[in-house]
Amino acid sequence: MSNKKVKAPEAGQWPDKVLIPALIAGAALTTIGFLMAFLWAAPVNGAQLSEPVLVGDVMVTHQQLLSQKIFYFHMPVAIVSFVALVFVAYYAIRFLSTRNQRFDTCGRVAMEITLLFVIFTMVTGDLWTRFEWGVWWTWDPRLTTYLILMLIVIAYFVMRGAVDDPERRATYSAVIGIIAFIDAPICMMITRLIPSSIHPVVLREGGMTPDMAATVFIVMAGMLLVAFGLYRLRFRQARLAERVEALKEQLED
Amino acid sequence: MNAILVDIYSTVAPSAPFIIAAYAIVWLALLIYVIITVNGLKKTEAQVALLEEALAAKTAKDNAPA
Repeated sequence: MSNKKVKAPEAGQWPDKVLIPALIAGAALTTIGFLMAFLWAAPVNGAQLSEPVLVGDVMVTHQQLLSQKIFYFHMPVAIVSFVALVFVAYYAIRFLSTRNQRFDTCGRVAMEITLLFVIFTMVTGDLWTRFEWGVWWTWDPRLTTYLILMLIVIAYFVMRGAVDDPERRATYSAVIGIIAFIDAPICMMITRLIPSSIHPVVLREGGMTPDMAATVFIVMAGMLLVAFGLYRLRFRQARLAERVEALKEQLED
Repeated sequence: MNAILVDIYSTVAPSAPFIIAAYAIVWLALLIYVIITVNGLKKTEAQVALLEEALAAKTAKDNAPA
């Protein structure tokens, strides 16, 4: 272990000053994105109608796939879960190289945010799957690899609850965090590696129209800000909880 | 209703509950998470204040001349 003083994140640093504005901006952007999804982004066409029909001032030639609107929240929350995993891996490596418990705290909070967004991805994805495919679950490669990712994240917290020694717990957590991070690009690339996957691939299927891309971008920016705000809130709470424990120990001495 | 319109709405109306559920779950869960975190934060801050007060009192007592 190096004797060099390690610069570790702390509650009350500059990111906490932008925490509340970030949460408010995140809430505003996701709301704007939601409105754009339903009021601005063009609906996606389904099967062709037997004959075109005029609805309002629009000539409709195909069935309208309203269920596709789930995509405007599903894709951003999935990407935010991967971004949160990048931080989990970063703090895991920082902990393993410095043995500073602060990085374990950061990693744990980042993993909590990952779990939240992984659950959002699963729930929104499953609701779409239930409507479009008629089943709650199918062993599609994308779904399966993402389920594995969710199980790894849950295992992380189960392990933390089972190991009492802080040093060992932090080391195991760092290793599991890195394993979860390795699964992220597999989840992302699996539809390209296994082309038989039935999960829609936006970029392979012609990309997004500008209105779709703008909506996704707005929601993603909002979700990233929300995730950042939540991370800092939880980190502050975690640091205060550690302070409570330290004060209790001092009182007992 | 016109058969063509029935065909158009056949994919719209049945999907509405799933879409509403997807958006509502994400927003509600985020809101609940924020409320729980803020409440926890306030509770922990109160604990820290109490413990610091108790520690200061203990230190003063320990340092007081006999």
